[in-house]
Formats: sequence, structure tokens, C-alpha cells
Amino acid sequence: MAKAKELFKEFKIQSVSEFFRRNAAMLGYTGKIRSLTTVVHEAVTNSLDACEEAGILPYVRVEIEELGKEHYKIIVEDNGPGIPEKFITHVFGKMLAGTKAHRNIQSRGQQGIGISGAVMFAQITSGKATRVITSTGGDEIIEAWVKIDVEKNEGKIVKKIKHPNPTGWRGTRIELEVKNVKYVRSKQGVFWYLKLTAIANPHAHIELIEPDGKLIVFPRSSEEVPKPPVEMKPHPRGVMTDDVYRMAKRTRKNTVKRFLISEFSRISDRKIDELIKYIAAIRLINREEDKRIKDELFERLAKGEVDLILRSYGRRAKKVIREVQKLMDKPPEKLTWHEAEEIVEAFKYIKFLAPPTHGLRPIGEENIVKGLTGILKPEFVTAVTRPPKVYRGGIPFQVEIGLAYGGELESSFNLLRYANRVPLLFDAGACVTTTAARSIDWKRYKVEDLDRAPLTLLINVISVHVPYTSTGKQSIANEDEIYEEIRLAIMEAARRLQTYLSGKHRKLYQVKRKKTLQKYVPEIARALSILTGEPEEKVKEYFISLIERKFETVEEALEQPAEVEADAEA
Amino acid sequence: MLKREMPKERFAYDPQKVLRKLEELGKEILEEVRQGKNPYLDIPTRGLNNVYFDEVKRVIRMGNKLSRRYFLNVAHARKFMQTLLIAAYVKRLVSEGKHASLREAYYANKHTIPGTKENTFEDQSESDPVIEDLERMLGVLREEMHLTADRRGYVYGDITIRDGEDEFNTSKLGMGGWAVPGTVEHIQFVDINVDYALVVETAAMADRLIEEKFPKKERALIIATQGQASRGVRRLIHRLHYEEGLPIIVFTDGDPYGWYIYSTIKQGSINLAYLSEKLATPEAKFVGMTMDDIKKYGLENVTEKLKGIPPNKKGGPTGDYKRIIEEMNYPWFQTKEWQRQLKLALQWGVRIEQQALANKSLEFVAKKYLPEKIANEELLP
Repeated sequence: MAKAKELFKEFKIQSVSEFFRRNAAMLGYTGKIRSLTTVVHEAVTNSLDACEEAGILPYVRVEIEELGKEHYKIIVEDNGPGIPEKFITHVFGKMLAGTKAHRNIQSRGQQGIGISGAVMFAQITSGKATRVITSTGGDEIIEAWVKIDVEKNEGKIVKKIKHPNPTGWRGTRIELEVKNVKYVRSKQGVFWYLKLTAIANPHAHIELIEPDGKLIVFPRSSEEVPKPPVEMKPHPRGVMTDDVYRMAKRTRKNTVKRFLISEFSRISDRKIDELIKYIAAIRLINREEDKRIKDELFERLAKGEVDLILRSYGRRAKKVIREVQKLMDKPPEKLTWHEAEEIVEAFKYIKFLAPPTHGLRPIGEENIVKGLTGILKPEFVTAVTRPPKVYRGGIPFQVEIGLAYGGELESSFNLLRYANRVPLLFDAGACVTTTAARSIDWKRYKVEDLDRAPLTLLINVISVHVPYTSTGKQSIANEDEIYEEIRLAIMEAARRLQTYLSGKHRKLYQVKRKKTLQKYVPEIARALSILTGEPEEKVKEYFISLIERKFETVEEALEQPAEVEADAEA
Repeated sequence: MLKREMPKERFAYDPQKVLRKLEELGKEILEEVRQGKNPYLDIPTRGLNNVYFDEVKRVIRMGNKLSRRYFLNVAHARKFMQTLLIAAYVKRLVSEGKHASLREAYYANKHTIPGTKENTFEDQSESDPVIEDLERMLGVLREEMHLTADRRGYVYGDITIRDGEDEFNTSKLGMGGWAVPGTVEHIQFVDINVDYALVVETAAMADRLIEEKFPKKERALIIATQGQASRGVRRLIHRLHYEEGLPIIVFTDGDPYGWYIYSTIKQGSINLAYLSEKLATPEAKFVGMTMDDIKKYGLENVTEKLKGIPPNKKGGPTGDYKRIIEEMNYPWFQTKEWQRQLKLALQWGVRIEQQALANKSLEFVAKKYLPEKIANEELLP
């Protein structure tokens, strides 16, 4: 015994925060560039969510200040609803305390660790508390410094000052000091992250001040605040034993039957009768000793022959059905693991209506077009929002894509990946969006060389449960149904691009090109005049006639389609 | 003993040359348009794949890959316009004899294009590369175009400089010496009373040498780079060597960063490969710190461990180890002496700072270490 005692002397119960400290990588805190992006992501996500829930058009300002080598201050300010004083520690200091963690709801955030994770990251890298300045628009502004008590998993305010609020300012500003991070203008950095966020949230005005003082503005292009997502009851085909078991322990209903009907979607009294029969059949089949017979019976069960199977067992079946009925009437908290397992197995054989999808909140075709146009200034843009579908039998999801082409886009293919509107910046290679986009035969849509085409594709996968490939939540798993939906959406958009490219809009495009070139002529003329001494007006004339001649020939060519074809071949 | 040599280049700053090149550029474009052709700019490509080491001149040089920027290409037109705007701006600067910083050049040329919502430049990250493009296109330093670079580094020693209307001796300006400006193109060397220039990595070491009256006793010019040498300092070193025949000796920490500073002064850098012929000084020599110094002067107690994972350990090499191995592969470090030094550093896993010499005594570096090594020409190539 003494030995065990000694062994356990070193044994400590790890708090949630302690766990985070050791597993920061799981939550996106790996690498110097990514960690910085993650902190910004958590804060910006909070701001956007809060604004949406309050019906406010978001104004978010991110400021990155370089304090030293790999040492930065990150400031995020919003015009959101603000945080009431007593909730400050709750919001910033407690892990797994989020309201979303246990609800079946489409959310931007992580598992309720979000911003408290960022506070923790700041604390363990710089040792500094997070400064929070917030007001709900009342008489006072609260300025508080928040730290996390790692042992207790609790937020604590180390210093607090109250200021008067004569102008009625409302919003939240947080300042985190972090070390071991790096600001780089790469495709994994804050700039790119905010750009992608701005595209997917055209109702938000987002600003960034880079460490060198450069101000970048992603202006709002839509005045409509998206509705916050609503909670959806889980669909029977989308749950695992553990879900049922845990939900049963928590429910307020007094029988298993009532619990199933009220807390799942698509389960009615009639479905319970069916469920009873299926569970009974499964119990009976499981008692068979001959494996061949067993397999055969399960096969028949899958075909829906439950009544025939039960009849073949005669009296024995009636007895088992009565047992299962009793199970349905007992209090849910007494439901055993094994019984939950049986229920979930039976769910697999029963036909249910497809899950409801009212909780999914796509960006919407119109807003995708606005977002892409406002930020990227392409010459052609289109968006496709597919109707909701189901994967793994019961998890609703929806795919939408946006396609931008030409204009100010660079001549390279860019894939902007999102899950529930949150930009995914890492692990692009492993992501189903990448494989789906690459699987398209772009040549069929008049895109000869995808990698050199001025083409940007936005893909947003929306679901209450996005199947990520790993804990980092940066790439979406290759579920067949999702893969197929993405392909269908892309092909639809690509067909529109094809129509555009093959001439219908080409003339319009030429006019735009002409205009683009023309607008630079006065600038060029002035500069060349300074350089050469040739009169400005003269230079202007030369350039204008050059442009005229260039587009004359193009227009002629358009009227003679055969020649255009020949051109394209060459 | 080290002595001044015969000059190899003459003071060559000629604003007229820059103006001529700009005019030529403008005329060529004008001619193209006049003939109804699509005018273009040929810009040498930047980046590693257009850079090579010239074994004869022993500097990093730019290759001849070009990218052609056409006016009639919608994707190029904006850059085309921006390049000409900056070229015209430079012409005004040079002909009026004024200088502007990169930021000033940005603001001076930023305005909304009439009849549009578009600006000529949206931010400085658009104008800076255009200036670099011009440098490469014309083969003219940005300093020669009167666009100033960062100022960092200072000089102390018995030389007399003329900078515009001012004339001064850099050993008569106090212990702080003369701060090297962003542009050294126009300065002239009136009188030089030193035998060689000692380029020192850290300001602390330069200050130490000045306090110990090293420049006077050894007839040396101290050039403090304060870390990686700025363009101004590199250009100054180049000019002192080629126009005034001063031997250049570099004194850095004995670590991968110090050796890299030396390498940049000597051979140029990948980023500024197109300027190597004006910025690099391949004849520069290295006095220390070397790994041999550790043994020779008994400095074993004041070394520091290299950072990172050594090559023979799992996950290695990283950090300092990785840098050293990269440096071992530089063509210009392919000499017996350098390979030996770098190998020793890897073997011992240590680095040594210039200031470690203070472990002997404060005067040691000025009275013994440098004078001995330089007199005996114990220098690395």
C-alpha cells in the first residue's frame, strides 16, 4: 500500500486550464504565425457573434503593435453590445463555460474555449493580464485586467477601474500581450485571415493596423445583419451512444419515450412504436448463435421486414416487446449505457424524415457576391448556395461557393476555405474543399490552366457539426456527401463562368478593359512629358489612339467568330 | 603592415547620368507608342532564382531573367503607370538636387486618378517595389536617384569629409563620431589620414575602441555597423575601398549572425544582388572573432552555447546550427580557413561575442588583440 501512496503523492487532478496549458496546440496555438492569427480569430469571432446576436452592424478594429522581438500587443475593439460587469470573468476566464458548447447549434467558435484560450495564451507567454474595456452603453465604462487562475479554472480580475461614460459608448475593447508570435503578411497571417473574414461577412466593417502603422480597411458592402443561428434538436441518425446516454442524464422528461420525442427531431409517438419493434428484433437476432442466420436476419431488418421477423419468433417476440416497452417507460436517468447503445443501433435501421435545416445560416448568394466584389474587385462573380443535405445519415450540412474571375485578381488560382463562415488557413492539402475543387475538369469550362487563371473560389461548408480532420479544425474531412455537394456547386458556378467567357459578356469585358487602360492615360502622359519634354497633350493622343486601335481589332474579331476560335487555338 | 593602396574607382557620382537614363527610358516608350506598338518595361526578375555567385568578381549578382510589363495588358497597366510616375518624380528630385525618403516619395505621388475612385498608390507597399524595379531597370542606386535609405551606423577616425556645404573631420565630432546618412553618394573624401578601415559589428565595441584611442594609435577608421550593415554603410565601405584604396577589415561576433554580416559586406546579399557591384567589397578581410581565438586567448569560460539542435541530434539541425551549415555551403566560404572555423563552431557548439574579450581586461581588445592580429595579418579571407 505504501507504494501506491507514494505513487499517488505526485498525482494531481488536472484542471481544464492546466490541460489547455499543456495542449495549446489542439486549439490552434502552434507556430508563431498561427498563434497570433488564432488570438485575433478568437477575439474577432466573439465580436462578430455578439454583434449578430444583438442585431448590430459590426465595426471591428484590430491593431497589432510590435513591442519587441516576437512580442506583440493585440488590440481588438468592436461596437458590440458590451459585457455586463459580472460576466467579464465568465467570458474571459473560464474554459468550457461557453453557452454553445452543449447546444446543437451552428457556431463560429471552438468548443467554448475561444477567447479564454487567448487570454490563457497571453498569460502563459507574456505573463500579462488581458485588459478589457467594455460598456453596455450605460453610465459607466469598466476597465478590467483579467487573469485565469489555472488551478481553479476561474477568471479573476486583478485590477478594475470604473470610468464615466458621458458619450454613451458601447462596445468591447480587449488588449492582449503575447510573446513567441510573429506578424507576417503571409497566407497564414492576420492580414489574410481578416481579408477572408471580411469577404464572408460583408455586413462587417473590419480594420487592421499593422505593426508598421499601416491602416488597412475592409469596408462594409452589405447593410443587412445576418440572423443568429438557432438551436436544432439532433437528428436520430446523427447521434452516438454517448450523446444519447448523456442527454438522458440531463433531461427533465420523466420517461425515456418522452425524452426521445421531445429532445430529438423527427421522432413521434409512431416512431417510438417502430423503435420498440426494432429494438426487440435486434435483441432477438442477437440471441441467434449461428452467424450466418444472424447476418441474414440483419440484412432483412435493413430492408424493413421487422414485422415478418418478429412474427417468426411468435410468443418470444411478444415477451421481448413488452420488455422494451417497459424500457421506454422508465425514467431516462436510469437508462443504461447498453440500452442507449441499442437505441442508437435501432435508429440506424429506421427511416426518418431528413433533419430540419432551419438552424443553418448560409452567407447567401447575394452576400457572397457582395463580399467578393467589394474586397477583390473581380470582373466576373457568381455564387451558388446549395439546398441543405445530410451526411452520415443524419447530420445536416450545406455548401455554398462563390467564384470570382478576372478584374483585379492576380493570375493564379486562390481557394478561400470556410467552415461556418470561419476562414480556414492551414492544412489546405488535406481538406475536402481542395480535393473537390481540384477534381473539376476546368478545361471543360474554358479555364485552360487553373493555376494561372485569375480565379478565386470561395467554399463555405455549413453544419452544426463540421467533420474536421483533426483537433486543429483547419481542414474538413472527406465525407462523400460533402465532396459531391461541393463538386456540384462548383460545376454550376463554372458553367456560368463558361457562358461569360465564351463571348456573351466578352464585349462588355472589352469595354471595361478599355476603360481601365484609358484611366491611366492622363497619369502616364504627365509622367512621360516630364521625362521627355514632349507636350502632355501629344503624349495623351498617342496613347489614346493606341488603345482605340487595339480594341478596334478585337471588336472586328468578335464579329467574325471563326477568327476568335483560331486565336484561342493559337 | 596594412597600408592604403592605389584607388581602383573614381568618385563617380554624376546626377547627369541618372537624368540621361531616365530620359532614355521615357524616349524609348514614347517612340514605341508613336509607332503604334504596345510599349513595355523590361524589369529584371527578383528572387533567388535570378541570382548567382560570380566566381570572377566574387560577388552575388543578378541573372538576366526579365519580366516584361506591357501597357496594353490590364494586369500590368497599373504598375506601368506607377513606374513612370516614380521615374518622373526622380527626375524632378535629381534635377532640383533634393532628397526624399521612401515614405515621402509615396505620399508625393499618391493621389486619386481623376474621374475614378482609384489612387495612384494605395499604400507604401506599392511604391517601394516600384522604386526597386527602377533601380534594377536602370542599374542606378536608389541613393543616386535621391531616394534615401535607412540611416544606421557611424564612423570615427582621422578622415575629412565634405557633405554639401559642410566639411569636417570625423575624429573631431565627439566620441559619437559621424552618423552615416541614408545617402553617401554625394559625400566627398577631402583628406584621409588612416591606413585601413575597421568595420565593427556592435556599437558597444566601437565605443570601446574609440575610448581606448585605438583609431589614433593604430591609424584606423572605425565604422560601426550596428548589426547588419545598412545600405549607406555598405556603400560607404565600398567607396572607401575602391575610391580611396583603404583596406577593409571586419570585426564581428564569432557567431553565424556575425559571419553573415561579414558575408553581406563582402559578397552582397540576395535581396540586393543587382547592387552588388556598388555595395559589395569582395577584398574585405575578417579579423575575428574566430574559433581559434578561443584557444589562443584562453576564452573558454566566456563562450556561449549555440542555439538550436545540433545536426547529429534528432530534429536537428535547427537555429544557429542550421545557419552555420548553410554558411558552410556558401561558395565564398569554400576556403580551408573558413571551413575549419565553421566546423570548429559546430564541433564545440559554441559562439563567442566581441565583448567577451573584456574578460581579459577592458583595454585588451584595443591594446593587444586587434593590433597583434592586424600587424601579423592573421586575417581570414
